[in-house]
Amino acid sequence: MSTPVSPKDARAVRDLTVGAEITGPVRLMTAERIEWYDSAMLSAAKGTLAQVGSNIHTDEDYARSQGLPAIIADGMIMANWVSSMLVEHFGMAYVERGELRTKFIKPVLLGVTVVCRGRVRSIEQGSGGGRTCMLDVWCEDEHGTRVVDGHARVELPA
Amino acid sequence: MLGGYISDLEAGDVFQPVEYVLTAFMATEYAHGVEESWEGFHSSRAPGGRQMRPPTMIHVDKMRILEKNCLKEQRVGGAKGPHARIHYEYFARQHSPAYVGERLIVSGRITDRYVKRGRLYIDYYLEVRTSDGRLVTTYTDKTLLKYEPETTA
Repeated sequence: MSTPVSPKDARAVRDLTVGAEITGPVRLMTAERIEWYDSAMLSAAKGTLAQVGSNIHTDEDYARSQGLPAIIADGMIMANWVSSMLVEHFGMAYVERGELRTKFIKPVLLGVTVVCRGRVRSIEQGSGGGRTCMLDVWCEDEHGTRVVDGHARVELPA
Repeated sequence: MLGGYISDLEAGDVFQPVEYVLTAFMATEYAHGVEESWEGFHSSRAPGGRQMRPPTMIHVDKMRILEKNCLKEQRVGGAKGPHARIHYEYFARQHSPAYVGERLIVSGRITDRYVKRGRLYIDYYLEVRTSDGRLVTTYTDKTLLKYEPETTA
């Protein structure tokens, strides 16, 4: 019999207060990470292993021909890293009933270090004893410039 | 207009739905590709004892439905359109998990198409349900159809 794995202990979530900050992955954007994502997305869509071809995320010449300064990372890479932060901190409350919005406000180039962060904006008590937690979430580069902006909503059980 | 390039899509276009069975490979491969290590996305060691997909996989469903409805431009199939698209906004609401082995139905439409600061955008609305009608995810998406702004002569 396998043991269910809970992403986060309930007490840490219970103790969250407005203004509390959470942190997620801190990762260097590399060509390998871009390739991992693109190939995984294609594989998941096809249902068999697939390899990404030429696009604005993998081909420097093609990216420039489209007016971009260079290869850019797919925004869904950062959306997924923010999602991982929410899985880590809120577990099934996010997976089952969560909400995540991300805007990709600045291209992420190779060599940028992406830092995922969040801050609790509000916590509202629900009628059934649960709470609704609203968070600002974002990714910033190593200089503190935001490259992804967004928010999340998680309904915490009683 | 359906059947052409993604840039041919217009507000009001309703996609032909896509139906498929979520496999363990799909969930695991995607989770692996985005370095998502929670075990419940990789195996049945999850609450309820059933492997589930990462919530963000709604974006793969967007690729699936575009593949079926835009025959001239297929990211999965490898056919490029006239211009590369840039994803600008992702907004997913989870209503229940999608479990491995479930048959999922993806439906949706184009809700808007407009020019802002010289750039052409389209907005999508998608939803995913299980074949027995349980709502899994609702999703809106904003995509830039071409990175370079249109220039006026």
